[in-house]
Amino acid sequence: MFQIPCPHCGLRNVAEFRHAGEQRRRPDPQTATPEEWRTYLYTQANDAGWTRETWYHRFGCRRFVGVQRHTVTNEVRPADTGPAPSVASPPAGIDAGAPDAGGGAM
Amino acid sequence: MSEALPIARSPLRAAGPVETRSGWEVSALRSDAALRLADRTPMAKVLVRAPGGGQVAARLGVTNGSARRDEHGTLIVGSGPGDWLLLGAPGCAAELAARVEVEDDGLVSVLDYTHGRALMRLTGPAAAQTLAKLCPIDLSDRHTPDHTAFRSSVAQVATDVVRDDVDGTASYLLHCERSSGQHLFDALYDAGGEFGIEPDGFAEP
Repeated sequence: MFQIPCPHCGLRNVAEFRHAGEQRRRPDPQTATPEEWRTYLYTQANDAGWTRETWYHRFGCRRFVGVQRHTVTNEVRPADTGPAPSVASPPAGIDAGAPDAGGGAM
Repeated sequence: MSEALPIARSPLRAAGPVETRSGWEVSALRSDAALRLADRTPMAKVLVRAPGGGQVAARLGVTNGSARRDEHGTLIVGSGPGDWLLLGAPGCAAELAARVEVEDDGLVSVLDYTHGRALMRLTGPAAAQTLAKLCPIDLSDRHTPDHTAFRSSVAQVATDVVRDDVDGTASYLLHCERSSGQHLFDALYDAGGEFGIEPDGFAEP
């Protein structure tokens, strides 16, 4: 069990949140192929270390919250503190669009 | 022969004898136990959504995480970023909604949720200890003083909690979806068993 800093509600128990996925670059919807969308939606980088993630505060403010989390130790810090890990890149050959707030199915 | 008025019923089972108050069937029970749990569902509940830095927010006068009573006795709760909950006497929801002036403030919504939500009040010196069994928030006076509001999980139900002390005694209003009301009431009642909790009847506020 660990805590997540919500910018609206303060430090809250992780049980109040739902993991919404790694933050990844969304491909351009005008030009993306089905393969690119499939990769964007379902492929995770799963780095062992600091990652940028989005969590949904379902029992609190009901907003999406961006944080940095160490996937080995579960240490969490606000998205704008510490040395920022880069947003997970799509596999080679996929056009990198604007960073997205989260991925995966809601 | 006069036409019978419709009676509204709370989602919480009324304890003891019942009476009709402002068109609602409510419990007429009176308890003087140290820890009491009472159904307050008939209270008017109006939800306001508006831009956080707008005129509506300024007029309501509370920010996310706090609450205050206005000159009409309405409890204004900052229940989320850009969300407010207005709690007033039974039957005054239309009046509460009309009092929110929404002109020239962008996208604003004012909705009467009186019949869609459940509301209960937990009162007594052991109220914080009871609530702490079900809720992961620090309820000490230092972190959660009177007129603090927060939304969190209480017995796995998303609940707006407002600390609204009564005559110096710790008291919490708990506001949740109507369909979760009985579950939340039962969970609180179970948690308060060791402190001698008793059901109480309807009273204002």
